[in-house]
Amino acid sequence: MTAIATVTEKLPAVQRELQTASAGQYLTFVLAGEIYALGILNIKEIIDYGQLTEVPMMPSFVRGVINLRGSVVPVVDLSARFGKGSTPIVKRTAIVIVETIVQHLDTKQNVGIIVDAVNEVIEISQQDIEQPPSFGSGIRPDFINGMARRDNRFVILLNVDRVLSVEEMANLSKAALGDREHGSN
Amino acid sequence: MQTLALDGELTIYTAIEQKTALLDFLTSDNELELNLANVSEMDTAGLQLLILVKREASQNSKILRFVMHSKAVLDVLELTRMTSAFGDQIVLSAKE
Amino acid sequence: MNIDEDMQEALKIFTVECNELLEEMEACLLGLETSTEPSQTINSIFRAAHTIKGTAGLFGLDHIVKFTHVIESLLDRLRNGELSVTSELITALLPCCDHLSRLILEVINGSLEENPEATECGNRLLDALLPYQQTTATTESHITVLPETTERVETLAEKHSGYGNWLLFLQFNENCLRDGMDPLSFIHYLTTLGEIVDLATFSYTLPDVISMNPELSYLAFEIILKTDADKEAIENVFEFIREGSNIHILPLENRIPYYVELINSLTEEDAQLGSLLLKSGVITPRELEEGLKAQQAAQSPCRIGEILVEQRVVQQPLINAALEKQQQIKDNKAKEGQYIRVEADRLDRLINLVGELVISSAAAKLKGMQTTDISLQEANTSVVSLVEEVRDSALQLRMVSIGTTFNRFHRVAHDVSKELGKDIKLVINGAETEVDKSVVEKIGDPLLHLVRNAMDHGIERAELRTERGKPQQGTIRLNAYHSSGNIVIEVSDDGGGLNRDKILAKAVERGLIPAGIVPSDQDIYAFIFEPGFSTVEHLSNLSGRGVGMDVVKRNITELRGSIFIDSQAGQGTTLRIQLPLTLAIIDGFLAGVGDASYVIPLDKVVECVALPSDDHHDFMELRGEVLPFIRLRKLFNKNGATVRRQNVIVVEHAGLKAGLVVDRLMGELQTVIKPLGCLFEHVQGVSGSTILGSGEVALILDVPTLVQQQEYRQIFN
Repeated sequence: MTAIATVTEKLPAVQRELQTASAGQYLTFVLAGEIYALGILNIKEIIDYGQLTEVPMMPSFVRGVINLRGSVVPVVDLSARFGKGSTPIVKRTAIVIVETIVQHLDTKQNVGIIVDAVNEVIEISQQDIEQPPSFGSGIRPDFINGMARRDNRFVILLNVDRVLSVEEMANLSKAALGDREHGSN
Repeated sequence: MQTLALDGELTIYTAIEQKTALLDFLTSDNELELNLANVSEMDTAGLQLLILVKREASQNSKILRFVMHSKAVLDVLELTRMTSAFGDQIVLSAKE
Repeated sequence: MNIDEDMQEALKIFTVECNELLEEMEACLLGLETSTEPSQTINSIFRAAHTIKGTAGLFGLDHIVKFTHVIESLLDRLRNGELSVTSELITALLPCCDHLSRLILEVINGSLEENPEATECGNRLLDALLPYQQTTATTESHITVLPETTERVETLAEKHSGYGNWLLFLQFNENCLRDGMDPLSFIHYLTTLGEIVDLATFSYTLPDVISMNPELSYLAFEIILKTDADKEAIENVFEFIREGSNIHILPLENRIPYYVELINSLTEEDAQLGSLLLKSGVITPRELEEGLKAQQAAQSPCRIGEILVEQRVVQQPLINAALEKQQQIKDNKAKEGQYIRVEADRLDRLINLVGELVISSAAAKLKGMQTTDISLQEANTSVVSLVEEVRDSALQLRMVSIGTTFNRFHRVAHDVSKELGKDIKLVINGAETEVDKSVVEKIGDPLLHLVRNAMDHGIERAELRTERGKPQQGTIRLNAYHSSGNIVIEVSDDGGGLNRDKILAKAVERGLIPAGIVPSDQDIYAFIFEPGFSTVEHLSNLSGRGVGMDVVKRNITELRGSIFIDSQAGQGTTLRIQLPLTLAIIDGFLAGVGDASYVIPLDKVVECVALPSDDHHDFMELRGEVLPFIRLRKLFNKNGATVRRQNVIVVEHAGLKAGLVVDRLMGELQTVIKPLGCLFEHVQGVSGSTILGSGEVALILDVPTLVQQQEYRQIFN
């Protein structure tokens, strides 16, 4: 986990203006009591949590891989990614399959994220969206695109490209691997 | 030196008579001159007669000159590029 | 599809074709000096250049046309024997191929316009060709003696080449005059079609004075005509006099290349010699018809081409060109019959689907086993075996011979020997050995490095070779063969061999191995694959640049392959690369650890033994040898109920054995490899994944890495 902290500190200052989410349809879901939302354009499908194969020597936020109709898709534990500990698997646990862009390879990749429960698809208008807070949300500011007020609660609009940045996650895995090797010597 | 002036057509229509006349003329002397000024028309038959007598003359070591080519003759010789082969002096007449 | 897309599509095909042609051209150029049939090779090169030029012209790629034209004319001179093949000429032509590739690449990248920088480059290359180009046209004097017709035809034609375009030979029916037709008037009429550039009148058939019949036609004419009219139009002039006459209309000698080109550029609907000649306009329908009639009438079978030449309606070179074209068309047709060009993507999709099918059918079989329905089980079994056959055939589709990759090295060998000033020949064996396309694509770079390396460091300088009693010319061998489900590729040289002691000293110095330990030769040689490991004091600009041996090793490992070194001091070195035939399928052994299943590549598995009960050590004794263990449960941090009796799968890589301790042995399987994706690219010990019949994802273990890590730990602990 020290590795994650190190990388976080090194991240460049975030330009808020560019990050603000735009109006549109969002899928909301619950994770550790918090409500998050993802723009539905990135979402491919939602499946029940099923047989998952762990991949050794990966940081805890990479839970493993699943068989999605013949493709092997990595599954990320968002809670662990946010540094809030592993998500316990419960009856309503689902996997949301999100399409992300692997920038350095210029390809798209599906990544699954574990959520406690999927809520609904909602329409969020521009005036509902507020700037993300610079602190206090408990997760990295660059993961957040904005906050939307909904039924007197705040919904956190996630920045998919940052949260599920394959490059960053791969680098973190490498760092974790380095730690492990270092430790073993 | 003998001279013969051909008259009229030197064509297929006159070829037989002309051949006889020309061969007769060939035997008349060792130096011969054929005046073509009055040849009004000439075709392939005429041309090959001229070639024939020219060849015959040289084979018999005689001198045969074609002179005073008419326009009809000149046209054919020009077309068939025979002018230089015959080696005769050509006087271009200004009148036509 | 709109026009633009059509064009794009056509352009794409053009570039693909060009690249193939350029490859062929290069291969032919390199093989020219040693070719047993150089004329055929030159022809192939010429044809390639010609086709590129022609097609480039269709797309308006004038800069390519311009460049290729120079090469083509030079090749034409080579073809006609005006130039002889020299290695200098080949060396001058090779970069021209490269330049063309570059021009084609620009087209692929979407630039159809001339790039001044490239043009300058091209001009420099063309300058190098100047000494081979025709400087002055030699004109031969006109021979005035009038012997045989054919000879004279050529004389006249030679003299006037460059002025006219048709050569007419006219000997009219001797009765024509009587029939009222004067040959001269026909000749005169020709002037309405064009210009009579030259004319010769022949009287050699004129008999002696006595037998000469003044009413018969004896004269013959040869005419050089300059006209835009086609052959048929010229022929029509003589329509009424043709009967019994001897009339030949031939393209002038100097126009032959033009017609040859025309014939070559004909579309390929018709492979009939006659129609090729007809289409190009060198013969007329009537001439063809007569030729065909003559062919039918002929006593002995004879070729239409021969007849046409004999009838003097066309010259031999044109027939040759048409025959060549005909052969080309036939070849293409034959090729079309044998091959279908398929996009690699489509093939990959098919193979992926077949992979799914394998998994699904395995799942169906599994489900069937759980029932008591025997007929269902039987049906499933037959489906599974059929699907496996389908999979094998599908994979076969991706198999290509390694030869294309190997042949590229002729060029490399040629260039590098020049660069190094060494005389090195390349010998290729087993070019027909087939391997999956994806393997071929990825093996090129590592091979390139190995070949360069062998030429640079392996082969000694000529003086040293002579001193050592070896032939001055060094030899690099590329060899490929199949061996137990793998392809083996060897790169060997007859050079000085690896310096074992130097490598060992360097390894100790670098701390790769504790001093005092003397590993096997194989192990010592393997150090050259360590990053930054070099025993060469002076890096030449050849091998010093680009990838190192560590990258070669990594590339090969990524292909699930391995590399071994054999070296004899003073005799040479052989690098042996072993690769799986396909990257898509793996024969594996399935083992369970905790709740997970792992696939171990079968070719790495030696045997399975039970784990001794006193299992407190990380090694066991196996037939008198010490076998180190890797406890997968520990390595992969697996919890869950332990089984009472664990098993050891003995694996071997590069001569090293290790045991993998697993909970369950689940048997052999053949399975489709699924890449894990870039998220997992740093994971060590896992090379990929596969989907089992149950739908579960199983990881494929990377035995070489595991074994090496094991050894690493052993040395340092």
